[in-house]
Amino acid sequence: MDKLLLKFVGLFNGLLQKTGVDTFQLHEILRVKLLMDNRRPRTAFGNRAARSGGKAPSPILANLLIMFMGLMIGLALFLSFKPLLGQTLYFSIFMMMMALTLISDFSSVIIDSRDQFIILPRPVNDRTVAMSRFLHVTLYISRIAFLLGIPGILIIGFVDGWAATPLFFIQIIEATLLSVLLVNLVYFVLIKAVSAQKFKDIINYVQITFSVSLFAIYYLVPRLVNVKSLKDIDVLSHQWVYFWPPVWISSLNEALLHSGRSNSLIIVFAVLGLILPIIGIWFVAKVLAPGFNKKLAIVSNADGGNIDGKKQHKTDFRDKIANWLAPDPIENAGFKITWKLATRTRDFKMKVYPAFAYVPIYFIYFTFNGKGETLSEKFEHVRNSSTYIFLIYLTTFVLLSILQNVSQSAKYKSAWVYYTLPIDQPGKILSGMYKAIIAVYFLPYCLVIGIITLVIWGPSTLNDIILAFIISIIYGMLMALFTVKGLPFSKPVMVKAGSGKMIVSFILLGLIIILGLGHKFLARWETVIWLLIIPMLLINWIMFRQYKKQSWDAIELADID
Amino acid sequence: MTNQPIIQIKNLQKFYDNKQVLKNINLDVYPGQVIGYIGPNGAGKSTTVKILTGLIPDFVGEVTVDGINLSENPQEIKKLMGYVPENAEIYDVLTPMEYLDFIGKLYGMEEPLLSDRIEKLLTAFGLADNINDRMDTFSKGMKQKVLLTAGIINNPKILILDEPLSGLDANAVILVKELIMRLSKEGKTIFYCSHMMDVVEKVSDRILLINKGQIIADGTFESLKQNYSDTLEQVFSKLTGREESGIETDAIINAFV
Repeated sequence: MDKLLLKFVGLFNGLLQKTGVDTFQLHEILRVKLLMDNRRPRTAFGNRAARSGGKAPSPILANLLIMFMGLMIGLALFLSFKPLLGQTLYFSIFMMMMALTLISDFSSVIIDSRDQFIILPRPVNDRTVAMSRFLHVTLYISRIAFLLGIPGILIIGFVDGWAATPLFFIQIIEATLLSVLLVNLVYFVLIKAVSAQKFKDIINYVQITFSVSLFAIYYLVPRLVNVKSLKDIDVLSHQWVYFWPPVWISSLNEALLHSGRSNSLIIVFAVLGLILPIIGIWFVAKVLAPGFNKKLAIVSNADGGNIDGKKQHKTDFRDKIANWLAPDPIENAGFKITWKLATRTRDFKMKVYPAFAYVPIYFIYFTFNGKGETLSEKFEHVRNSSTYIFLIYLTTFVLLSILQNVSQSAKYKSAWVYYTLPIDQPGKILSGMYKAIIAVYFLPYCLVIGIITLVIWGPSTLNDIILAFIISIIYGMLMALFTVKGLPFSKPVMVKAGSGKMIVSFILLGLIIILGLGHKFLARWETVIWLLIIPMLLINWIMFRQYKKQSWDAIELADID
Repeated sequence: MTNQPIIQIKNLQKFYDNKQVLKNINLDVYPGQVIGYIGPNGAGKSTTVKILTGLIPDFVGEVTVDGINLSENPQEIKKLMGYVPENAEIYDVLTPMEYLDFIGKLYGMEEPLLSDRIEKLLTAFGLADNINDRMDTFSKGMKQKVLLTAGIINNPKILILDEPLSGLDANAVILVKELIMRLSKEGKTIFYCSHMMDVVEKVSDRILLINKGQIIADGTFESLKQNYSDTLEQVFSKLTGREESGIETDAIINAFV
């Protein structure tokens, strides 16, 4: 497969040489990079996974999943009665998914810091390096594009006749190249504009936003948008679509196969879609590449960071909160380390932050399901019910998501310090950790949700919010007892949990449902809710005491070598 | 030996934002010299090395290597150089053979010669049995040997070594030290950066001490000894302004009181 791809690239040698690329070196760099990609999964999960019996996700399964997604978005192609509609929709989603994959899988490749010391000191010019990055990304993504596109290629054959199939193939290549170019462009601009640290953060947040919005589209669009109204959309009646690349791509099909209903504008778009990728490649090699390494060098050299002068150590508000909530020294250490690592670790944020958005999405998904009503009627319906209890308990999803990830870290080996220090009660670190999670993430989040609840459902919900918050903390501690077996950020990142954990998760899920239903049942007696707060606080206190007492036996140690 | 310097640095300055890290470095290095380049952390050592190897392309001043201007033709200069970086970055999913083949090809080396040389070099470094093992299982010392091999694979005229002994066992240290002597006899120029004063003292025939972006001492170990102190370590601490011996340790001990 790789050899074939390299041969394919070889076809363009003449063109590339003209732009000043050394094709021999380019070939070598690409060959080695592809080789490393193939070996990457093995290093990612390492021998460790093999030892503990876990398996890396099977590539066939992953491929099938991609094809399934291709099938789902391929359904859009059936919207063929209006010009451009179906295909524009298809290629919009297609390109978005390509861009998402590129950003999440390849930010590390596009800025592989090792290249600094391995490739740059050798006599390789800027253009060759930049072109090799661009082609490497394109080759990698073309595999995914192919899998994602197969269902579309078949479907278009049904919808538009056999002639559309080879054309669709070309359109997919167009879409892929354009996605790569766009993402590259953004990278080039970002690298130029911001520091390395910021750059990584921005990529991080883009990834989070992307995955959340995909999720939101998937769940909410069917709830909030009437599919029937889509039928009447005339794509070209909106001027902004002129600048929307998927429109150019779908114009190719329109111009060649439906020439009856196409006009000169569509032909212009079709030509634009064909030549832009070629212009783009030329643009990367000629305009962006020179000096790219220079900027990259500056970026990675600045990574070390110059600390000007001495910063005085002072106790900031975090230390005050820490000292107040976790006065015991060991607990205090657990509290602060969790706070600081959690808010600074990208992997953790990547996995946990989307959960904050999932809660409202789930809520709307489950509650806005009245049929045949307008949006405002649905809202009114929700407002008059006691669904807010559901919303408040749904926030425990955030707790769950944090607890599942808090003991894992890519740099878990740094946790050796725990094992060399004389800590007789590791439960104190865990309780510090739990307090930090509550203080940093859960409490602020509940405050926001609580205020929203008060605004929508009125002040009588105050007692419910307080009670639910306290119960959630107890519930969270139960989850922590069963799911968090390691100290904060001390274990390698797991591919997936074992089956035993699945059962525990189901039991825990059942428990929160029972708690929520119980609360809902009691909610009609306001005083009962107020009174219940007191025993719950007591249980909370007892639980914390018990939680602190965990000994080393209860904690799974990751082997550190 | 010729009188034509192989590396010529004139008025080299480097700024990071507004902070000047190199202040007018002037330096002539002649073929066959082994330069011991020393200085405290943050003195500008790595910056100099990165400029020489073309990693930092924007600087003020003029750097000429073998008659070629670094700003004008960095690629030609890179062909003359071998570089062993300090931070041991390596594509460790590859085998030494694959990695070195890759590096050699980037230098434009051709096939039978290249693989033959890789095999000979790795064998000489005692890695013959690991030639086709992936490097992710290698110890630090083994990786360092591969990095050293990568640094000399193209038979460079100039070899820049940044802390090349890190992780090596005693035998490998002796090997590298001997290798430096031999290469210098062959007329190669070696730029040796290190914090290990005893090694620098032994291998280099000219020592440069950089502090706060300026070269503050330049000469053979013998001449430095006469002017300042007995060991290079003492010369170093005198010139870089370390306070009277004992003051820092006093402060450390007193912190417990």
